[in-house]
Amino acid sequence: MNLFHIIAEKMDLSNASIILILGVVLFGGTLVGRIFQKWKIPQVVGYIGVGLLLGKTGFNLISSQTLLNLQPFSTFALGLIGFMIGGELKIKTIKKYGKQFITILLMESLSAFVLVFILITSVSMFFFKDIRIALSLGLLLGSISSATAPAATTDVLWENKTRGPLTTMIMGIVAMDDAVSLLLFAIASSVTGIITGQAGGNFLYSMLDLVWEIGISIILGVGIGFILYRIIRNFLDEDKILAFSIGAILLLIGLSQLLGVDVILATMAMGFFLSNFAPRRSTETFHLVEKFTPPVYVLFFVMVGATMNIKGLTLVTVILAGVFLIARLTGKAFGSTMGSMLSKAPKTVRKYLPFCLLSQAGVAIGLSITAGHNFPGIIGETIVLVITATTFVVQILGPAAVKYAVNKSGEAGLNITALDLIKQSKGKDIADTDIPIIRVNESLKNILSIFAEHDNLYYPVADSENKLVGILSIEKLKDTFMASDLSDYLLAHDIMDKIIYTSRLSTEASEIYSIFEKSHVASIPVVDGEGKVKGMIENRRMQQLLASRLSDLKVKAKQMEEV
Amino acid sequence: MNIVQLIDRELCFFLHSKTKTEVILELLDQVEKSGNVTDMENLKKEIFYREQIMSTGIGQGIAIPHVRFEGIDSPMVIIGLAPSGISDYDSIDNQIVKIVIMILVGAEQHKEYLRILSIIVGKLKDKAIHKMLLEAKDNGEIEKILKGEYLK
Repeated sequence: MNLFHIIAEKMDLSNASIILILGVVLFGGTLVGRIFQKWKIPQVVGYIGVGLLLGKTGFNLISSQTLLNLQPFSTFALGLIGFMIGGELKIKTIKKYGKQFITILLMESLSAFVLVFILITSVSMFFFKDIRIALSLGLLLGSISSATAPAATTDVLWENKTRGPLTTMIMGIVAMDDAVSLLLFAIASSVTGIITGQAGGNFLYSMLDLVWEIGISIILGVGIGFILYRIIRNFLDEDKILAFSIGAILLLIGLSQLLGVDVILATMAMGFFLSNFAPRRSTETFHLVEKFTPPVYVLFFVMVGATMNIKGLTLVTVILAGVFLIARLTGKAFGSTMGSMLSKAPKTVRKYLPFCLLSQAGVAIGLSITAGHNFPGIIGETIVLVITATTFVVQILGPAAVKYAVNKSGEAGLNITALDLIKQSKGKDIADTDIPIIRVNESLKNILSIFAEHDNLYYPVADSENKLVGILSIEKLKDTFMASDLSDYLLAHDIMDKIIYTSRLSTEASEIYSIFEKSHVASIPVVDGEGKVKGMIENRRMQQLLASRLSDLKVKAKQMEEV
Repeated sequence: MNIVQLIDRELCFFLHSKTKTEVILELLDQVEKSGNVTDMENLKKEIFYREQIMSTGIGQGIAIPHVRFEGIDSPMVIIGLAPSGISDYDSIDNQIVKIVIMILVGAEQHKEYLRILSIIVGKLKDKAIHKMLLEAKDNGEIEKILKGEYLK
């Protein structure tokens, strides 16, 4: 055996430890995601792309056994996603958007169901010449088509820091239409069972099963949420809160699996409970869990890519997949547009929501596998292949479409933090450029009146040529109270401070911010290339400015609701 | 801040000069002699820059050239009397200046600076002290008057 073979054998990833694979997946996935982000493509597409390359569709570096071993991580990721989405659903919002929300949800999921049902049944009839197979495929694929995957969609929303009615609507819809899909699938499954005489025929039993699944998920989620809330409300230590929260989520996921109920629904119920019934402690909890999520998400999406296998496709399944894609897309677009119009939703929702409902993943794949299990043979196989192929396509297109929509609607970047804002700003954005400049020979009396008439506490002092010579601070002015009899003789020059730092209008705000963080200066004057005064940046005023800009963005997001 | 500690007989004297510039230079000569300041060039510049911004002649025949300066460790007060008067001092009330008190403090001694200024101006505006100073016979008397020893 030559060296190459030895290396090749040693390099075989299917023999590699789980840890190594985790390393490759996380490192490679994040790297590619970052590159995609630079190319303005949502990072999710990069993660899934890496998965496709590593998996059966690509170089087959990850074996089925490894994928099976890694399955718990994917379930964990879904649980976290459910938890985070549940946290975003506020009773206040639901009440406010209730009518719009239910109308749009029902319209988009039912339109997709109806259109996919009609078109798939017709096309299948043409290929299979069997009305029972055609109807079964139509019903089952139709019900699966109504689901929209939350993971990839919300990842794009979080990546682009969106806020506004469209964001709220997407969150709500992706969270809830899985339930609609489960309901439709249960019905379709029973009807198909009756048509074909195969398993799952008892309609009543299916309904009871569904009620059990949804009911137990919610009870479990709320129950564990309540316990977590009781435990962490007495903790101040962030590490412990994080550990307890993750522990509670894992516990909930495990119990859901044990009882055979929906993981996402259960964790969503927990997130919903915490953010609505224990809001004071939960903001912190969600913040901590959010910090914990990136690696789990990367792993999840790479796994989604690696699991997909589109090698078994035949011409018929490709055509059916095409029909399914077009019918689902059209149905969702038509339904969400109609729903928005009927419920008088904001213009941005009506215009851009159709772009955001492409994604399908976990639930669709899960249901297709269930269908494959319940209806072995041509129906089951076709469904699995059609869903795999279409999931492949929409997972690549979906995130890009969501990104397009949130950018066009103007909601991207409205949900940013003070730190984000600083990163985007320059000196000129945070400086007071119309601050009065105190002349070096200004008398104490005039200085007092300048301080009285303006809100600033620090003023630039300049000479006759407008060049910066010092800073006049409220502290130094205060000291002059013990020499008030001198107010006629003291000048700005006598009481000003030396200049330690200056900045330009073009200086990065983050640089200025870090000076404030590190040193104890309260203000930094802004000068041009010749040292002439251009303004003043006061730490306190900068913070106020940032706060007011952030609230402006909030107002902007709020205004979008009116349109 | 005890004004008594700041007043040093060596730094109380009668001025020979008759013009503002000469008077200030004469006072600075005493500072240099005291050996407390090494960077005399820059101190000179600072003092004249301050006068250029606005004259320190505060009226009633009094002038208080003053500056905060990097190279000074502890506050210094230098007192010069010119009984015959300095006509070109450019006081705010246009009176001839007869008492010149130079106040020098370190760059960071902002509070001391204001206190000393306030105390000195307060003393000089006291008519009795003002009169006594103008009638002083020698350096020792100037010192005692400012230290308040004659009033006890």
